[in-house]
Amino acid sequence: MYGGGNTFEGIKTDSIATEDPTKLAEFEARIERGEKIEPADWMPQLYRKQLIRMIEQHAHSEIIGALPEGTWITRAPGFKRKMSLMAKVQDEVGHGQLLYSAAETLGKPREQMIEDLINGKSKYSNIVNYPTFTWADCCFISWLVDAGAIVNQLANAKGSYGPYCRALDRICAEESFHLKYGHHCVIYLASGTPKQRQMFQEALNRWWPPMMHFFGPSDKISAHTEVLMRWKVKMGTNDEMRNQFLDMYVPKIWELGFTIPDPKLKRVKRQVSGNTLNLIGKNLSA
Amino acid sequence: MLNSLDPRVNRLPQINQSISPKAPLDQFGTFEVFVQPKEGKSFQHEGIVHAPNLELAYVLAKEAFTRRFTCVSLYVVDTREVFVSPMTEGNNNAYDLIPESTTSTPGNQSFEIYHLAKRGKQHVHVGTVAANNPEEAMVHAREKLNTGKIVFNVWAIATEAIRFTSEEDKELWLTLPEKKFRDASDYKGGDKLKNFLERTKINH
Ligand SMILES: [Fe+2]
Ligand SMILES: [Fe+2]
Repeated sequence: MYGGGNTFEGIKTDSIATEDPTKLAEFEARIERGEKIEPADWMPQLYRKQLIRMIEQHAHSEIIGALPEGTWITRAPGFKRKMSLMAKVQDEVGHGQLLYSAAETLGKPREQMIEDLINGKSKYSNIVNYPTFTWADCCFISWLVDAGAIVNQLANAKGSYGPYCRALDRICAEESFHLKYGHHCVIYLASGTPKQRQMFQEALNRWWPPMMHFFGPSDKISAHTEVLMRWKVKMGTNDEMRNQFLDMYVPKIWELGFTIPDPKLKRVKRQVSGNTLNLIGKNLSA
Repeated sequence: MLNSLDPRVNRLPQINQSISPKAPLDQFGTFEVFVQPKEGKSFQHEGIVHAPNLELAYVLAKEAFTRRFTCVSLYVVDTREVFVSPMTEGNNNAYDLIPESTTSTPGNQSFEIYHLAKRGKQHVHVGTVAANNPEEAMVHAREKLNTGKIVFNVWAIATEAIRFTSEEDKELWLTLPEKKFRDASDYKGGDKLKNFLERTKINH
């Protein structure tokens, strides 16, 4: 799950000026050709630092993110749901392991990362800190928080750092089960009793604002983000990721007869490569 | 002083000890994981696990890398047992950078050889050679396993250092086909959704 939006502030691009220009040009040419960067290759300090931070945050989010869902295993409705949820939580912890391994190839020991998580030095996706009051909260996470994470993970899997991309390919293969399972859970609530529908509507109302923040703040395109996009560390702006999520999932939520607590969200017709598509309004309060 | 394989136990504060800084990093060493994606296909490198020993590395590798039907077999080896050639790029073959061996005696130890044929991909097992040490193994591999195609990096690992999958270990994967609930295809909500949509249409 949970490769949430990344904030890239706080690291200065100044260090690029001190890099060896020949090596930097070779490095950029390699990325330009679509080749992956491998651990033994030369890379700018900024690239290394930013990737460690990003992969480490992603790993922490998988581990901490497994906790709210983990608490629902014993209370999931029925044996089948318990089995599925247990498998999903195991997957998420496994994702954390794969991601720590990828981050380690850049030179930061795993134990250091865990320590930084515990002492609060490292960040992770804030969405995993919200409480899950009812089973419907848990279903919201499985379906929609995972959906948001998939949008980010699929984009990042096309990035430039080999070990991260390979870990993400593995992770994305497992996410398809999470997504289908989550949607299945929500369909059952939606087509159930009025009480069940109300439960999910309330969960949706609680989770919508953190879901929008999950993709990170609107990016101001700075020289810094430009460099990171050229180096294929950042594969799209936070807004692009958020809009992609809205385009894909708002219709599915509406289909089930739920409302979304954002009055500015509306259906618009938009031209996409010659076809008129029903897409979701972009003038969002988030 | 307590001594345990669990690092948390070793970090427990000692009674009657003075206040002192926490012990430095004591994380487990790493083991390289190789998987065989399909019967008859070559083993390829997948990543690492941290473990206290080879046997546990094998178990953890199974957990981390074979949770779905992604392979039919795997093996692990201590990272320190992997010998690597220089890395090249462009039209430079890594085999050209391996120094000539001084001894010409046939070796009596078996080594597994791996090639990196495409940058950004994994190292793939290409064959086995007999040699006296890893350096010689690479020299022999240059003669025996060099197809003329560019190889960017060569690995050599002593066969005896590897923890292979035994016949009985294969039971580890036996229950996988039963665990359909871990597969996206097990969640068919389409009919229920259709019924729901038809029902709500009538109501409106
Ligand atoms: Fe995940
Ligand atoms: Fe997930």
